[in-house]
Amino acid sequence: MKGATRSIWIVVGLVLVLAPLGLPPFAMTLLTEAVILGLFAMSLDLMFGYTRLVSFGHAAAYGFGAYACGWLLLNTGMPLLFAVFAAGLLTGVMAIGVGWMCTLATGVSFSMLTLAFAQLLYAISFKWTSVTGGSDGLAGIPRTIGPLGFAALSSKTGFYYLALACLVGGFLLCSALVRSPFGAVLRGIRENEAKTTALGYNTRLYKIAVVAISYGLGGLAGALYAPFAGFANTELLFWLLSGQVLIMVIVGGSGTLIGPVLGAAFFMLMEHQLSAWTEAWALYFGLIFIAFVLFAPQGIWGLATGWLQMGRLQRPAPRP
Amino acid sequence: MPLLELDGVTRRYGALVALDQVAMKVEDGEVRAVIGPNGAGKTTLFNVITGTVKPTAGTIRFAGQPIAGLPSHQVCRLGLSRTFQITSLFPEMSARQNAELAAQARHPGRWRPFGGARIFKEARQRADAALDQLGLTGIADRPAGLLSHGDQRLLEVAMAMAQQPRVLLLDEPTQGLSVEETGQAVDTLARFLQASRMTVLLVEHDMEVVFRLAHRITVLHRGTVIADGAPEQVKADQRVQDAYLGGLD
Repeated sequence: MKGATRSIWIVVGLVLVLAPLGLPPFAMTLLTEAVILGLFAMSLDLMFGYTRLVSFGHAAAYGFGAYACGWLLLNTGMPLLFAVFAAGLLTGVMAIGVGWMCTLATGVSFSMLTLAFAQLLYAISFKWTSVTGGSDGLAGIPRTIGPLGFAALSSKTGFYYLALACLVGGFLLCSALVRSPFGAVLRGIRENEAKTTALGYNTRLYKIAVVAISYGLGGLAGALYAPFAGFANTELLFWLLSGQVLIMVIVGGSGTLIGPVLGAAFFMLMEHQLSAWTEAWALYFGLIFIAFVLFAPQGIWGLATGWLQMGRLQRPAPRP
Repeated sequence: MPLLELDGVTRRYGALVALDQVAMKVEDGEVRAVIGPNGAGKTTLFNVITGTVKPTAGTIRFAGQPIAGLPSHQVCRLGLSRTFQITSLFPEMSARQNAELAAQARHPGRWRPFGGARIFKEARQRADAALDQLGLTGIADRPAGLLSHGDQRLLEVAMAMAQQPRVLLLDEPTQGLSVEETGQAVDTLARFLQASRMTVLLVEHDMEVVFRLAHRITVLHRGTVIADGAPEQVKADQRVQDAYLGGLD
């Protein structure tokens, strides 16, 4: 890593780690939610940005993870830490089926199948009242400490660090993945799937794998959200959220992992600022989204790295 | 034993018979061209051999092993690498990355979800060797989408070669090239074929290209083989001349 980039990372890391010391509680709540949504958006980037698998139903992952985690915390004595990871894992396993089904189709049909699947879960969450609580959802989800300690995680600050650790862990996992031989195949599928198949790759299996990993991480984000908010409701499975997370990825900069995290934070910030100012905040955010698509399709992260590189052009360029 | 052997291969699309009882043998080290007028079934033949399309009937053996009906990625992994009639590349990757991804497909560690430095290194070596064979070393770092059409056609061949195949299937390697580009590409291909002694199955429209590259020619017309033999023999064949002049109805 180059010197300038590394120092930026160190500063960002320090700010995030030290944030609980300086920020008031409501800001910490926002920041925690931004971190959770950042993980959610990053998980979608694996599919959308790296494999060009456009999911219109990524809320399925988030909602499923949230309900699974909420159910485990409410109905078993499972401690928070285990419930969160178990829910993420469950989502990933469930997504093998989703991936298997959705990859029967490609392109827009793939997207429609992901949407259909999310809507299916949405309908189930309404009807299966004994498990999901129906339209009330699951309320009063505890942050069970459990026999092994980890008491610190159930506090507001502790939970923030848990979410942050999941985001950083997720990022390290994803960035290793996209740089690996497996990731090279994903890029091949993104650019020319027919050719990738002709080269001898079983592209469908790769796609199912990336859907499972992506949903698993999205489920982990949802699993963090349930004990964070204390509830899980049907909105977490609604198509609106699927659309919003796509917007976060695009505005932040797809195919970069970091970009979608920034996009999620930007989305939260805008929602917060604009909604304080007008009821029709979504309208204005829509305009911002259109502006990004038209004038900065590389997103926030693309703009930022573009500026950094422009600065670097003055000096003799080191090999990338 | 022939390296590639087709017997009674038939492919129907409804009432249309695209391939009708095609039989042919390709020996190890041979450069075989399949020619025929438009719609003769040449590309269907390729698609059937490579598993893109399943044959309706018939057997295909590769090194004695039946491969008819296997999915294309499995056929490819056995050692049959193909190029496409319409250029198919990864346009945003460099020429070298294109060849590396092709080489990686043969590596048992291609699934590895982390690390992989050794796999990349091996792929890189094979890719560089293949690019060198086709004289593309100089443009290895350029994005494939920005190469000249001629270089793109050769890059496809290099990608197939990076897989170290036993049979190379070339679907109209000079398709869409200008006369001048065709000349250069054929020079490079001829040099490469002579040096590598690859077994090649070649579909080609351009007769000059065929006569320069092929050891033996199979002529398809309306899905059936109407001639098979050395270039001079085929050239003199009355049925072939009729087929190309639009007769034989």
